[in-house]
Amino acid sequence: MTPLLEVTRLSIAFGGLRAVQDFNLALAAGDLQGLIGPNGAGKTTVFNLLTGVYRPDAGEIRLAGRRLDGLRPFQIARAGLARTFQASRLLADLSVADNVRVGAQLRTRPSLLGTVLRTRRHRATEGDIEARTRRLLETFGLAERCDELARHLPYGDQRRLEMARALATQPRVLLLDEPAAGMNPQEKLALRELIRRVRREFGVTILLIEHDMSVVMSICETVTVLDYGVTIARGTPPEVQGDPGVIEAYLGVAAQTRGPGGGA
Amino acid sequence: MSAAAHRDGPPAVWAHAWRSGAPLLVAVGVGLLMHFAVQPAVGAFKARVLVDIGINVILAVSLTLVNGFTGQFSIGHAGFMALGGYAAGALSYYGSYQLFGAAAFNGGVLSWTASQGPFHGPWVGGGDLLFVAACLVGGLVAAGAGYLVGLPSLRLRGDYLAIVTLGFGEIVRVVLQSTQTQLSQAAEVAATPWPLLTLKLGGALGFIGLPFYTTLFWVYLAVALTLTVAIRLKRSSYGRAFLAIREDEVAAEALGVHTTRYKVRAFVLAAFLAGVAGALYAHLVGSINAGELGFQKSFEVVIMVVLGGMGSVSGSTLAAIVLTLLPELLRTVTGSVNTYLPPAYELPDLRMIIYSLALILMMILRPQGFFGLREIWDWRVRRRPRPA
Repeated sequence: MTPLLEVTRLSIAFGGLRAVQDFNLALAAGDLQGLIGPNGAGKTTVFNLLTGVYRPDAGEIRLAGRRLDGLRPFQIARAGLARTFQASRLLADLSVADNVRVGAQLRTRPSLLGTVLRTRRHRATEGDIEARTRRLLETFGLAERCDELARHLPYGDQRRLEMARALATQPRVLLLDEPAAGMNPQEKLALRELIRRVRREFGVTILLIEHDMSVVMSICETVTVLDYGVTIARGTPPEVQGDPGVIEAYLGVAAQTRGPGGGA
Repeated sequence: MSAAAHRDGPPAVWAHAWRSGAPLLVAVGVGLLMHFAVQPAVGAFKARVLVDIGINVILAVSLTLVNGFTGQFSIGHAGFMALGGYAAGALSYYGSYQLFGAAAFNGGVLSWTASQGPFHGPWVGGGDLLFVAACLVGGLVAAGAGYLVGLPSLRLRGDYLAIVTLGFGEIVRVVLQSTQTQLSQAAEVAATPWPLLTLKLGGALGFIGLPFYTTLFWVYLAVALTLTVAIRLKRSSYGRAFLAIREDEVAAEALGVHTTRYKVRAFVLAAFLAGVAGALYAHLVGSINAGELGFQKSFEVVIMVVLGGMGSVSGSTLAAIVLTLLPELLRTVTGSVNTYLPPAYELPDLRMIIYSLALILMMILRPQGFFGLREIWDWRVRRRPRPA
């Protein structure tokens, strides 16, 4: 079976810095994979390459066989690849509902004249957007706060709103950039459940960047480890956790000679 | 859709038409009211101030589409106004020669200002149609220019775009001021083909002798339509796309918003409306001079948008009203104060000083403008989370 999202030999350099080198990835439909690595390893750069923020120097990105590399971000979103951002990029001065609506209107084709005249078709489209927005807000427990400005949401709600908004674009693949960042342990537990539920209910394939090992190791089936832009390991969570290269990357050489956890 | 229409029968169709078209009727109603009730009641001077207010509202609300909704900073709006005014003027002036033999008024009662004397013409004259066509052409020419300028320059951000639009406004002014002497003999006009006529727009002296058609009716019809368009856009997929760009361009793209396209659309629409405002202005004064529509006029409009609220239709409308009335009030105040002062100590025109002070205070105290993104009718909306 061909993978849903297939990335081959993706590379980009900023000046002399090879931020990502020969990155390969295959996501089958329904996968939940993790992408980890120390700070500066190139994880978010991979996301930016996948979503068209950066143009790769080399390599291919295919979503269900269609080439995505070289497309602009909005075209990639339309092709069915949605993302959240590491630092929240909500539309801060718009309401919570409007944030989701912007995503939900992606597959509609509004006409200027129809909008100005409020034609029947226009109202039907807006009604459809509204219905999908409501559903998402309820799924993410944000329905109560739908009229508040996004900037006034508590942090945890903001992260969930980012996910809701990305899902509103009806993606086939969802890229989550550190969804657990800044969350407390309870919220992290809830987040794990939410991610599993999102995959089940929305039928999306998920690639997750995460620093928090408890989250990655508990929900991902496959984990890829990046270090200095190079893939140094890939496998199931236990495999990756036992990989000497990975331990070295995270803890340094000295730690490796003493064995994992031995020095602590 | 046809099944639903069939089931609901004619009443639903009417209800639907009403929901779509009510503002059009309201617009005509407002125009008629202003023309037949307000105009005679307030007299010529106040009616003229009301016309000025209307034109400034159109300008401010149209600029709100760009500066407020999409967050791009355009400061060349008067350029579009000038283009619209000249294009409309060319059509009505030379068109009048060709249709009626002279550039004189040929309209109906809706285009007749009561202060000009009693009216004995028809309800709607041929000149009215020419005038409406001229306004639309003025809007379209401005929109075309907006497209040509916007497509390459809306890729720029912030200050760079501001400089391009400022430059555009100045280029328009210079080009219009270097057009050829206008023709004023019917025979000459008849002998000149249209493409050449569009080059003869009066040059540095301005384009004069345009027929007077602009009345409270036409201006407030245009105001009501402009407000309808702006408000309906804001509460739709279009408006959300515009606002998303303003809030965070990267996030908007990631959500599938074709940012360049939507920026150009906002820019073109704003240019169209500014062009219409220019057309109304040209046929109000009976002339148009690009020299008066330089960056100072652009800044006036920018100030209205900034003070009223970056993204608030009602806010910029209110600001346009206040800032049009202000100089009139100030003139009265300074005038009456000055009668008690010796000539050497007379107060100067305080308008620009007050504008600047208001702008500085606003930037310090409330940079998002008086209303911010909200509308007057949005005050009900909760701004903060309820205490848990």
